[in-house]
Amino acid sequence: MMAPFFKYGMFGDETSLVVAFLIGIGFGFFLERAGFGSARKLMAQFYLTDLAVFKVMFTAIVTAMLGLTYLAWMGWLDLSLVYLVPTYLAPQVVGGLILGVGFVTGGYCPGTSVAATATGRVDGLVSVLGILVGTFAFAELFPFVKGFYLSGAGEAMTMPRAFGVPYGLVVFAVVLMALAGFYGAGLLEKRLAAGSGE
Amino acid sequence: MNPYLAGIGLGLVLLASFVLVGRGLGASGAFNSVIAWAVDAVAPAHARNNEFLAGYLGDGSASTLKSWLVFEVIGVFAGAMLSGLLAGRTKVMTEKGPRVSVRARLAMAFAGGMLMAFGAALARGCTSGQALTGGALLNLGSWAFMMMVFAGAYAVAYFVRWQWR
Amino acid sequence: MRRWILMLTLNQQLALGAVALGAIAIFAVPYPGSTVTLDAREFALVIGREADHVDAPELASWIIESRADYRLIDLRGEAEFAQYHIPAAINVPMANLTEAGFGRQEKLVFYSDDGVRAAQAWMLLKARGYKGVYMLKGGLDEWKDQVVFPVVADNPTPDERMRDERARSVSAFFGGQPRSASAVAAGAPGLAMPTVSALSKVAAPASPTGGAKPATKKREGC
Repeated sequence: MMAPFFKYGMFGDETSLVVAFLIGIGFGFFLERAGFGSARKLMAQFYLTDLAVFKVMFTAIVTAMLGLTYLAWMGWLDLSLVYLVPTYLAPQVVGGLILGVGFVTGGYCPGTSVAATATGRVDGLVSVLGILVGTFAFAELFPFVKGFYLSGAGEAMTMPRAFGVPYGLVVFAVVLMALAGFYGAGLLEKRLAAGSGE
Repeated sequence: MNPYLAGIGLGLVLLASFVLVGRGLGASGAFNSVIAWAVDAVAPAHARNNEFLAGYLGDGSASTLKSWLVFEVIGVFAGAMLSGLLAGRTKVMTEKGPRVSVRARLAMAFAGGMLMAFGAALARGCTSGQALTGGALLNLGSWAFMMMVFAGAYAVAYFVRWQWR
Repeated sequence: MRRWILMLTLNQQLALGAVALGAIAIFAVPYPGSTVTLDAREFALVIGREADHVDAPELASWIIESRADYRLIDLRGEAEFAQYHIPAAINVPMANLTEAGFGRQEKLVFYSDDGVRAAQAWMLLKARGYKGVYMLKGGLDEWKDQVVFPVVADNPTPDERMRDERARSVSAFFGGQPRSASAVAAGAPGLAMPTVSALSKVAAPASPTGGAKPATKKREGC
């Protein structure tokens, strides 16, 4: 049995939409479990009082990354069939900055704003509306940004390929970096909590 | 929930997505589809002419809303609602600091949303699609994006901290 | 050893697991690259059952019936394709086959001049997990001989007459004409293939999954 199942024709487009819904349920469920339906919790990351955002995000990345690596290594998953967003370095760097600013201004990211709306947060709903309006504005302004939008166009590139380093080595490095980060995050949280006498 | 356990749960959902469908998670793309659909409903010619939106409209054989991400985001809503109800964290309220007015907080939420729309459109994704999905795939552009998100957020956090006072 | 692990906190146990998995992953080769695996027995079975090819007359009837459940792929170069191609075929040179975006369950029929290229393409894609690949038996040569310029008997028996009538109408559909058996036996020269424009009324079957036609597909992304 070869994965990705959809790319091997094991189910059709209609079924994939049902799968999308189910996967979304899992996604939303764990986002809220982590407390990310609350802007306070999310923003605590950027005021260094609760680094759950970092912990959850990188644990998820490491988990999926290891899963992909092993499944592909054992030949059960054809990694070349998994969609990789092409790299557009300049717009992605600038887009990241803008999104970061928007994130900390609004208190949510696009995914968590949906999760927040689902748990009754009015600011989550307003954030969703802001994203919709902003998307419309972007589309209307697209002729002006098109040049930049398409700049730095590259192919789908992974870090191992880009740096010429074996895939497994990068995987191990990411695991170590994440664990070091988690350890540091724990220390930081303790120190700041002790400092502010909480 | 222990953040590491929640992270593992999230990572497994992400992995399931790769294994089942050959793609990862996302959020901003669904918003793009919704806007494309809305503009198309009101002014179809305008939507078709718009290069950004046209990509989401396809060839008209299926509804614009019948997109993988739109269904996924509806699932996110459902899953979060379920978790919130189970944990008793569901409450109609505005997250804000005690000394901030609701109006000010909501204005910031709206502004933040608009900024994120621009950022996500330029970057071809947001924290779900680029950071989580691209992160797991060791996508070069995604990791660059992820670092810039943290950089931008930390840079500006000081100036908006009044929201939480 | 086991007791020591049990004494750690959950987070520490998770971290230990992550380090172990990460360390082993150093040796992972997740992208096999251009290596493919062949199941020799499955291959032999498929070939033995003749499930690897489509006959020229069979393909002709598919085209006449305007069936839309398959894709016909011409593996030759652009110039040769422009000069003549089987109606309803699309031109995908060998080098671009894997990038063309065909679904792995799609029914794909390959042809080339004599069938050798088609057989190679069949093998290549089969090894990469494409389940619906077929080749046109005999390639364009057989297509010419059996469909466009079929041989009809000079003094047909009633059975042969029915068969020849059918062959005549099929060949007319494709802009060709039948050859008499005696002329072929006497070594008459081959006839020129009809021009492509004469056959423009036969359109290529619409793709079921939209592969090789990315312009009409919705954006994939996040």
